[in-house]
Amino acid sequence: MSSASLPLWRQRLFGTPATGIVTVVLAFVLAWVAIPIIRWALIDANWVGTTRADCTAGGACWVFIRARFGQFMYGLYPVDQRWRVDLTGIIFLVSVLGIVFAPQRLRLRAGLAALVVLPPLGIWLLAGGFGLRPVETREWGGLMLTLFISVYSSLIAIPLGIIFALGRQSQLRVIRLISILFIEFWRGVPIIAVIFLASLLLPLILPGGIGIDRLARAVIGLGFVIAAYMAEAVRGGLQALPSGQREAATALGLNYWKATGLIVLPQALRISLPAMTNEFIALVKNTTLVLVVSILDLLGIAQASLADPAWVGMNMEAYAFSGAIYWLICFALSRWSRHLESRRRL
Amino acid sequence: MRMRILGATVLLAASASLASAQQLTPSPTLDAVKARGNLECGVHLGLPGFSFANDKGEWTGLDVDYCRALAAAVLGDAKKVKYTPTSVQQRWPILQSGQVDVLARNSTITFSRNASLGLNFQGINFYEGQTFLVRKSTNAKTAADLDGASVCVAAGSTEEKNASDWFRERNLKVTITNFQKNDDAIAAYDAGRCDAYTAGVGALAGQRVKLKVPDEHIILTQPISNDPQGPVTRWGDERWQLIVRWVLNGTIAAEMLGVTSANVDEMKANSKNSEVRRLLGAEGDFGAMMGLPNDWMYNAIKQVGNYGESFDRSVGAGSTLKLERGQNQLWTKGGLLFTPPFQ
Repeated sequence: MSSASLPLWRQRLFGTPATGIVTVVLAFVLAWVAIPIIRWALIDANWVGTTRADCTAGGACWVFIRARFGQFMYGLYPVDQRWRVDLTGIIFLVSVLGIVFAPQRLRLRAGLAALVVLPPLGIWLLAGGFGLRPVETREWGGLMLTLFISVYSSLIAIPLGIIFALGRQSQLRVIRLISILFIEFWRGVPIIAVIFLASLLLPLILPGGIGIDRLARAVIGLGFVIAAYMAEAVRGGLQALPSGQREAATALGLNYWKATGLIVLPQALRISLPAMTNEFIALVKNTTLVLVVSILDLLGIAQASLADPAWVGMNMEAYAFSGAIYWLICFALSRWSRHLESRRRL
Repeated sequence: MRMRILGATVLLAASASLASAQQLTPSPTLDAVKARGNLECGVHLGLPGFSFANDKGEWTGLDVDYCRALAAAVLGDAKKVKYTPTSVQQRWPILQSGQVDVLARNSTITFSRNASLGLNFQGINFYEGQTFLVRKSTNAKTAADLDGASVCVAAGSTEEKNASDWFRERNLKVTITNFQKNDDAIAAYDAGRCDAYTAGVGALAGQRVKLKVPDEHIILTQPISNDPQGPVTRWGDERWQLIVRWVLNGTIAAEMLGVTSANVDEMKANSKNSEVRRLLGAEGDFGAMMGLPNDWMYNAIKQVGNYGESFDRSVGAGSTLKLERGQNQLWTKGGLLFTPPFQ
């Protein structure tokens, strides 16, 4: 019997003696690593109860996550107001899906409308005022805050990034110089230093009365840094575009803005989408740096909850749970970007 | 003669008005707190027993209790506090830049901080210090009893240096066993590889709960280092500093005088002890001298309790940490906790 007649998986895993040995060894390593983790996380885990005393099985104490689930999701956001966070999330999600599945000719208009309406609406729903009970940003936290920082930083970063990417290719020397300075400055500064400066030095420099919200300062600082990275991602797309595209647009009588808006950017953005998604994934993970200024994002609330004497020693559970959520977000994002890429190729 | 009496009267009146003017020098911080209707308090992001958010999202702990007592004294309501969790890097700037009115964040009082950071420490609400966690079965009562024992520490830590210096100076033969991380050291101690583990009192209380059988271990009450901690204010605004200092003193005095949240009403009405009466505003105008209502400490004790009550429920016997009072006991009972008199 020739090896070609074996099923494909056997051919791949046990095709030759050497691959066979590698397969067996790797299987052992996998089992050696995975079995204790699975035992801890699933088989020996404690699922029901309300206090630490209910965790007797020796494995993970998911009771802790259950008791703190609200805080992991919403931070210290007032319990009776949490529907506002849910509502904001649903509105954003429905809008994004709506734009993705809208007919081609409506998509651009719907997208722009969403960009104008959604950000202020989200802030109003979350922060309150104008008829809603105000909720200070210090009470925000958990997953909700992680997503808020990610979304609002990129709302600053993407437009700024596009502007500076175009500026870097501008014919006007001043604009080119300003763009290069901006990009190189913000790319050169460590994010942690930016957050630190925004949070600590600004209040010392600004006169007493001017109090910009602590979270807003962090979001703006983060937005600027990511904008510099986004600009470089977009520049890659612009440079990948054959120069004939713009020349043809100009030959058709389109001016700079029309040529850019209708011909160059749509193609360049598609090319740079994977790189931009990369930056966004990096941004989601970089939001954890706001911890140094005590803004309680998902990781921050996980750490803070470890200080409750009622739950002391739950480090593994807290980090495993928050890590899993970060992974889910980043994995979903990368799948989505692959989906977009494959659609582009069609 | 008449002229002289008149002169004396004028002088007396003038000095009296001068005195009252001095009593109420402007306090921008107090005015700001009153105008905003809440106290801005800087706390630790999360330290077991001292400040942390519980399952319900309420801030709790010994430091948090101080903030609540201050709010009760100043605004009449212990709930009128807004907490700013601070990281170790941002705690001083956040106080210096005026983002908080007071910082109650387990910060050790040192000369150089006081002299160079533009900060004042307003008393001691926790005597922190490096000490040892040992098994009850070893019968060790003080660090000196550890002669011949072994101690697990993280290599290169301050604790390692402090401990080895301390034992060397006293010619005690103690084996220091080094580990890479603190977690490894405490795990080795729990596994029985050493007789003791060393860290600060507060940290040890948090660590002990994580051990397999916490009840089998005790924390030695005599520390080998001195790291007192207390509420911190900015320089300037002396009246605010006065308030911050005497609210802390008031909670200690209340324990000293036997005033608790349970008996405060009865004490205020019936106590014959004039220090109790002055403390609770039944006699004298002590609150008014600082620009506060005279029932300032009555409110603080009624709503938050005296120092002993706070200690008990956040880190002491009434909590999961079960820390002994040790140095944080009143000076009359063998500890270091002290307040000047309310006279």
